[in-house]
Amino acid sequence: MKSRSAQLSLAIVCFLLGLLLVAQFRTQRMTDSSLLSASSADQLLIIGSLVENNARLREEMETLEEQLSEYQQAARRTVLEGLVEELNKVRIINGLVEVSGAGVEVSLDGPIGVLDVQDLINELRNAGAESLAVNGERLTLYSVIASPEDGVMTINGTQFSRPYVLQAIGDPETMETALLRSGGLIATLERNYEGLVVSVIKRERMVLPVYKKEAIEFLYASPVE
Amino acid sequence: MEFKLDGIGRYIPILVIALIFGALLGLQWKSPPARLTTAPGTELESGALTIKRLEAEQEELKESIGRTREALDEYRRELADNMEMLKEINAELERQKMMAGLLTVEGPGVQVTLDDSSIQSATADSNGCLIHEYDLRDVVNLLWLAGSEAIAVNGERIVATSSIYCVGSTVMVNDTRLSPPYLIQAVGNSIAQEDVLRNPAYLEGIKRRAELYGVQFEVNRTGTLTLPAYKGGFPTNYAQLGE
Repeated sequence: MKSRSAQLSLAIVCFLLGLLLVAQFRTQRMTDSSLLSASSADQLLIIGSLVENNARLREEMETLEEQLSEYQQAARRTVLEGLVEELNKVRIINGLVEVSGAGVEVSLDGPIGVLDVQDLINELRNAGAESLAVNGERLTLYSVIASPEDGVMTINGTQFSRPYVLQAIGDPETMETALLRSGGLIATLERNYEGLVVSVIKRERMVLPVYKKEAIEFLYASPVE
Repeated sequence: MEFKLDGIGRYIPILVIALIFGALLGLQWKSPPARLTTAPGTELESGALTIKRLEAEQEELKESIGRTREALDEYRRELADNMEMLKEINAELERQKMMAGLLTVEGPGVQVTLDDSSIQSATADSNGCLIHEYDLRDVVNLLWLAGSEAIAVNGERIVATSSIYCVGSTVMVNDTRLSPPYLIQAVGNSIAQEDVLRNPAYLEGIKRRAELYGVQFEVNRTGTLTLPAYKGGFPTNYAQLGE
């Protein structure tokens, strides 16, 4: 009896051992390629969620790419470059940057009135002068040529003495023609002032300095939208 | 040594059979009881392939999303910097435009009216009866001297390149023909402006002709003037920035 029950229990142990062995083998295979051993229903679930997830990711990617192309367009600096170009142009007009270019140089020596210098500047502007300087003082819209006393000329409050040298950047031909035409301003001035020596020289390249005084401050005028 | 069937050896066949039996039962256990598909192995395999493909795709998508986000962040930073610059440049541009006469402005100031004399008698000096372009020029220069901040003649804003000249008897400002009466408007300190305009040391010619020939020269202070912006261009065909 004793040996029989021992036989039986041993058989049961072996039977269980066999079961465990197979179970072990199966889980081993599961971790190696869980996909193959997963049921097709499980696979479908996994595929479904992957497809959904990838679609979401692709959507996100599309949105990001759209944003990126928008940024790339915006960051092309064209707006900024355009603004800087415009700003520099207005700065030239306002005399707040150094400028260079072709033009004419008008020298005046001898007696001449301040208003006549003003008229000459008007003539140069009329002939297309883009930038002007007198004796190295840059002229702006607000520049005033004045004569606080006889024989004295001030520009922007600074006194200058003869000879007066007017430099104008612009088309040299047009300005020279305008100044020297018969019956023109210089002819009239030479007739009116005895001893006045005027010379007009075309220049291929001149450099006009920056307006160095304080820029105008607007106390009364305000921009209207 | 005597071989005893009574010993361990006697159980061996039983043990082996039990082991095999258990293993078979175990194999049977995990198998699905019923497979509906005809080719279960191939379907599972193609399913696995799909999953792998999808996972690879996911990996790729995540990577490119990460890359794009980084690129976007860089652009955003750059754009923010540019925006900051843009704001500054815009503010500076407005200031410069104000100075150049490119903005409509309003403010107190004076109005000067100049007109030819209505007396056109044969005896009167016809030159003395008329307002000339240099009269306008002198008044404008004087107004700048008085600290004016913006000036317009008959609605033409005076800018740095403006000239006041005449073609025949027609006065031109900014290449626009003007006809009398001439209205010169200047924004600024109206008291200072009027003082200078009325100063006998200035505009002697006009004032004398006003007395002698009835040329009109009128100065009025005003509370609010609105001067239009300069609408022409500033050709810069010759002037270049810098040396």
